[in-house]
Amino acid sequence: MTKQATTFQNPLELVDRYLQAVRFWLPKSQRQEGVLAELGEDLRSQIEEKEAELSRPLDKNEVSAILKKCGPPIVVAGRLGPNRYLIGPTLFPTYAFVLKMVLLWILVPVFLFIIGPVYVVNSAGNWPAALAQTIGDLWSGLFIAAGIITLVFVLIERSPAQAAIACKWDPLSLPPVQKTERKPSLAQSLSQLIFAVLGLLWLLLLPHHPGLILGPAAAILKAGPVAHMMYGPILLLTVLTILKPAISLARPYWTWFLPAAELVQSALTLIVVHFILNAAGQMTRGDWHPFVVQATGLSGNYIQAAAIVNISILISFACAWFGTGIALIVQLWKMFTLLRNKKINRQPATLRA
Amino acid sequence: MSNGTTSPEVFENLKLELRRGCLTLAVLAQLRSERYGYTLRKALADDGLEIDEGTLYPLLRRLEAQGLLASEWREEDKRNKRFYRLSATGEEILNQLLSEWRRMNDSLSKILQEA
Repeated sequence: MTKQATTFQNPLELVDRYLQAVRFWLPKSQRQEGVLAELGEDLRSQIEEKEAELSRPLDKNEVSAILKKCGPPIVVAGRLGPNRYLIGPTLFPTYAFVLKMVLLWILVPVFLFIIGPVYVVNSAGNWPAALAQTIGDLWSGLFIAAGIITLVFVLIERSPAQAAIACKWDPLSLPPVQKTERKPSLAQSLSQLIFAVLGLLWLLLLPHHPGLILGPAAAILKAGPVAHMMYGPILLLTVLTILKPAISLARPYWTWFLPAAELVQSALTLIVVHFILNAAGQMTRGDWHPFVVQATGLSGNYIQAAAIVNISILISFACAWFGTGIALIVQLWKMFTLLRNKKINRQPATLRA
Repeated sequence: MSNGTTSPEVFENLKLELRRGCLTLAVLAQLRSERYGYTLRKALADDGLEIDEGTLYPLLRRLEAQGLLASEWREEDKRNKRFYRLSATGEEILNQLLSEWRRMNDSLSKILQEA
């Protein structure tokens, strides 16, 4: 390489080498347009003028200095060539939106709540392996999805349909203006408070009146070990549920409070439900009655009825775990956008423009 | 930025924005008489507006594609050179741009005096 770079007789050969290097980086469509001839002519004129000024031919270092001033061939080719991009400014916002939707709001939740749990269930207790497999597959999935989406948008960018998509919009179809800060209404906070207090009273009466939850089945069933264990945390969650509308009523101008409280509530609910499911799962299979057991002193056998109720409650908790998980992700995103909007709104208008 | 210091990068970007429109106007004005690339660059530099090859030639091609310039390859001093000059449309547009430039310049002067 070094030998090739130094074996030239005429310093002006450097110009040809330079033009060849620029040509290499130019797109084929640009090579025929005389752009290189024009650049070469410019460089030769510079050399000629310098030679006239010094009254002698330039040496290779002086020619090299002129070329260096012009810039590296790849940079010059980039400036001389047309503006090129995979996805142009018209399509880019849609591309970014679709990418975000598919990767963050479809793939991640699917792996977190469906594929991940399936791997854990099939792992026979080997949690780390299941976790590693979930993360590995999620990683590959993200790459493949991002690649496919990018490819589709690159094809759209190069198709004539792109211009039609850009022009096809109607101001009348724009969505209504969204309120960035949600202020809870008085009626909403009041009704939430009343229902939360009624719920707490109902929960406090349950240990003495199991018929409030079991109905007529209270004659044959009673609370199981996990039901006793989960009573305290659920009671605490209900008290927190009362605090949320109460604080909203007292401080209605705390616009940040409601989303923050919903976030904390969902996180705590998820933790409690997780522990309940965990406790139910750890019970021995032969005597699996986590939530309800057959009442003592009965003449008949109601084990099967107890099993059906237990499975129904377990499925309900599993659904609650799944739903709360999704709610938590949505609330986290809302909180993030709320904080981001607050930060943007604090900036001077000139910076936002 | 937030502590009030001037960022060189911000200044450079704003300077580039300011320069972009001025360069087009200057190139069009210089090409009222016929020139080839190098002499055009030299004339601009002599008047205090330096422009590199990578900026000038794409600009010339764009202005020609818009019909504001006309060009032809001709031999001069035993070398082939591409000569540019303002077209009839280019002359018309240049006059409109110059009036706009003078109007903006007056407004800016007034604003700066008020400040």
